[in-house]
Amino acid sequence: MRKIFPAEELARDPRFIRQTNEQRLGDPRGARVAGGNSGDRLAKLTPELANGPDRARALMHGIFTGEIQALEGAGRTCWDFEVGEDVPLELKLDMARQCWDEARHCEISVALAEHMGTELGEFAENGLLYEAACNPDPVLRLTGVNRALEGLAIDVFNTMKEFGNLAGDPVLEFCEDWMLADEVTHVKMGSDWLRQLTANDKERLDKALEFQKVVDRLFSFNGFRGEDDDSPIQLTRRFRELAGFSDDEIDEIADMSREARVEAAG
Amino acid sequence: MTQVSVTPESFDMVFYDAAVIGEVVAEVAERLGLEETINLEIDEGSPLGRSKIISYDPIELWVDGGALENTKRPRQFGTGRARDTLGRLLLRILDRRSGRFDETPADDDLDLMQFVAWDVHCVGRLNRLGIGGQRQRRLYQFRNRHGFTDVADAAFEQLWDSSELSWTEIERISEACRAS
Repeated sequence: MRKIFPAEELARDPRFIRQTNEQRLGDPRGARVAGGNSGDRLAKLTPELANGPDRARALMHGIFTGEIQALEGAGRTCWDFEVGEDVPLELKLDMARQCWDEARHCEISVALAEHMGTELGEFAENGLLYEAACNPDPVLRLTGVNRALEGLAIDVFNTMKEFGNLAGDPVLEFCEDWMLADEVTHVKMGSDWLRQLTANDKERLDKALEFQKVVDRLFSFNGFRGEDDDSPIQLTRRFRELAGFSDDEIDEIADMSREARVEAAG
Repeated sequence: MTQVSVTPESFDMVFYDAAVIGEVVAEVAERLGLEETINLEIDEGSPLGRSKIISYDPIELWVDGGALENTKRPRQFGTGRARDTLGRLLLRILDRRSGRFDETPADDDLDLMQFVAWDVHCVGRLNRLGIGGQRQRRLYQFRNRHGFTDVADAAFEQLWDSSELSWTEIERISEACRAS
C-alpha cells in the first residue's frame, strides 16, 4: 500500500461533493465558514438568530466531514511512518486510539445529522483537514492537524455545546460535550509529541509551529474564531490550557483572529 | 397564466439563469393555483437564505441568492431549494388572502415562534403537493423555538398534518408550547 495517500483520491460515495480550496476561496461572496459565510459580518452562533438552527446544521455537517478526514488522517499516520526511524511506537498507538475516537465521532455525527434534519452530503465537503494530514514530516503533520485543526475543533465543539444548552437540546449538548473531551485529548497528544520529538531540534520545532500558524490562518477567515463576545465561534481558553497550549500561544491565536477581523472590516 | 419577472436578468457572482428561475417560480405558482404576475428580486451577493414578501398585491418577492442555492454545489442553482423557498412565500400570500389570516401581524412583527409555526404549516402542505419537504429539518427548527418536548412535537405534528388552519389556530398551537 502506498504512503502519503493523495487527498483527491479519498473514497466517497456519490452523496458527497468535494469543494476544492480554490473554489472555496474563489467564491466572490466569501468562503463558507462556521455554518455561514465569511463575506458577511457573522454573528455569534446562538439559537436566537433567525438562521441559528440552519447554521448549526451546516456547521454540524462540516464537523461530520471533518471527523471522516480526521479518521483518515490518523489512520494514514499509523501507516505512513516507520517505527524507530520515523516515529516511536507510542505515537502510532496514540494515533490508533485517535482513529477509534474519530470513528465514534463519525457515528455520533451521523446520529446528530439525523436529529437535526440533515442529509449526509447535503453540504459541500472541503478537504483541507486531510490535506494538512499529508505533510511528510510526522511532527509537522501532528502539529498542523492535532494542534491547529483539533484545536479549532475544541472551539467549535464548545460553541455547539453551548448552542445545545441554550436551545434546551440535551442530545446536541451531551454529544458535543463527549466529543469535546476527546478533542482535548487529541490536542494534548499533538502538544506532547511536538515537545518530545523536537526536544533537541529547535529548527524542527520552529518549522512545526510555523506550519501550525499557516493552518490556523487558513481556518481564520475574517477572524470568525476569537474571544470577542460577538465572535461566531468562541476561542476556548480553558480547554486549550488543558490541551497543552501555553498562555502565550493562546494569546497569539486570539491576536491573529482579532487582526483578521480588523482586516476584514477594512 | 403566470407571468414572472426576475431581477437581475443575468448573474455575475453565482451561476444562475434567470429564465430557469422564472420557470421554477411559474411552476410552483401554478401548482398552488396562482395565475398572476410575480416579480422576484434576487440579491446574488448574499449566500444567506433569507426571503421575504415585499408586496402582496401585486406579488413582489425578495430572496438572498443563497435561498436558491444548491448546498452541495455552492454558487449553483438548486431547484429543490428554490421550490421550497418560493413555495413558502407564495403559500403565505395565499393564506393572507384566504380570510383565515386577517388577524395575522405584519410579517416584520411576527416573532420567531409565530414565524416558525406558520412555516411548518406551509411546508407540511407543500410536502403533500410534492414541493419541498425536509420534515426533520423543520421539526428541528420548530423544537429550537418551541422546546425539545413531547408537547412541542405533538404541536408540530398538528401544524404539519393539517390542511387549512387559521392564524388563530396556529397561534393557539404555538402558544400551548410556550405555556408548557
